[in-house]
Amino acid sequence: MIRPMLRAGAWPAVVGVSSVAVVVGGCGAAFPAAATVLLPVCFALLAAAAAFTLDEPASLVVDVTPTGPARRTAIRAVALLAPLAAGALVLLAAALRGLALPWAAAGLALAGNVLLGFAAACVVRTRTGEPGGVAGAAVVLVLMAPGLVPQVARWVRTFPAPGTGGLSSDTVWWTVLAVCAVAIAISARGRRLSRWRVRGAIPPLPGAVRP
Amino acid sequence: MTTALMAARHQTGAGRTTFVPLAAREMRRFVLNPVFLFAVVMTMWVAWSRAGAAVTEIDEVNGYPAVFLGGFGMMAAYCLTRSMRASEPVAGVTPTSRPARTAALCWVAIVPFCCGVLTLFGFLHSYPVGDAVYGPFSPSARLAVLVGQIVVPSLGGPLLGVALGRWVRFPGAAFVLFLVIFGWVELVTILTFSRPDSAPIAVLRLFSPFAFFTDQADSGAVMAWRGSPWFFIGWQLALCAIAVLVALLRGAEGPVRTRVIRALAITGAAAVILLMLAATGGFTHAVAA
Repeated sequence: MIRPMLRAGAWPAVVGVSSVAVVVGGCGAAFPAAATVLLPVCFALLAAAAAFTLDEPASLVVDVTPTGPARRTAIRAVALLAPLAAGALVLLAAALRGLALPWAAAGLALAGNVLLGFAAACVVRTRTGEPGGVAGAAVVLVLMAPGLVPQVARWVRTFPAPGTGGLSSDTVWWTVLAVCAVAIAISARGRRLSRWRVRGAIPPLPGAVRP
Repeated sequence: MTTALMAARHQTGAGRTTFVPLAAREMRRFVLNPVFLFAVVMTMWVAWSRAGAAVTEIDEVNGYPAVFLGGFGMMAAYCLTRSMRASEPVAGVTPTSRPARTAALCWVAIVPFCCGVLTLFGFLHSYPVGDAVYGPFSPSARLAVLVGQIVVPSLGGPLLGVALGRWVRFPGAAFVLFLVIFGWVELVTILTFSRPDSAPIAVLRLFSPFAFFTDQADSGAVMAWRGSPWFFIGWQLALCAIAVLVALLRGAEGPVRTRVIRALAITGAAAVILLMLAATGGFTHAVAA
């Protein structure tokens, strides 16, 4: 069961976006002056890659198989190793280049980014079989907000770069990890055909009495 | 002969009559796209919230319209183009050809372009051309900097989104490309901070749909980097034309395809020339005001 489930995953998307993230992060490691800009971009791409791990083009068939959503989600979560490994590779390259970053906080930010992408995919997966595009775009916009909107950068920091003001990156990511764990647990449990969908599929006849 | 010409003329007229409603419909869909509406709101909010703030050099503020109207406009146009993919088997057998539908999609870029022009006027109101924030550029070059950083990206982003939507099936292509371009612009700008006089780095900085032209020197003066803002606009417009042609190439057949490929080759050559002129023109080294 595990192998077919993993084989059916959107590997080209996950590996492709992770590869782009490695290139962007590699540039950050190669040019230390640009690291604090490029590493958050790299992590946002890894979050987007994580959002594609739950894509299931054959969801109409797969969703009615005896394998429950929690088990399917757990199996697909193995694919998160790809963006996590890519992020770890980038951080290792940055460390070898002598970048002075708070590594524990950077690792936490990496895990938080990837889990945020996965949690968003879990939530969207309850509505559609291929949540990657929507969840990935949403996560990227949220993660890039501090870099794009100066006002947001004053309130919150998503990368452990030196700076003043706003919530620290550690606080943000511990909170995000907790919220994501809850969201994943709820989404994975409730991903069956909901009652409204069943009713929509077979509308009851007016006046019909259920035996 | 006369009958054939009459028929051809009739077809051209019919093409025009279908094109205009098609373009109008696509434009309405684009204007109602939540991503584009968000981009417009964010552009207005950032422009309004920064209007009273102290700005030392113009590049502190004029990147935001390019990000929102250009970058987010690209994502909106990509969504718009991809949304028709599911109905392609039906739409594909209608009398309107795919290049005609693509051309109608490309017309939606007029909307963000107009938003960009309005934003430009807003910027000119907040930061008049005679202001010191533009550094040592001449008045016409200052206007070119603003047009190249606000108006043309607003036009080019959605065109790039249409081309991407026509050729790439991957649903995350738009935001991946947005992040790659964002990362590239940041990288080459940061490299320019350390080597403002380097010609290869100037080429790399301008080898992008958006580029910064000024920086604040340690002395507090506004420094203008090398490169010609006017030729940079030419390079950007060439990129816009390439995006349109690449989008039109999808589904083009026969003589139309040949013409598009020929135009693409000519535009590509023009783009390379304009990039070189942009990098070698203007100031030949960084100049502080």
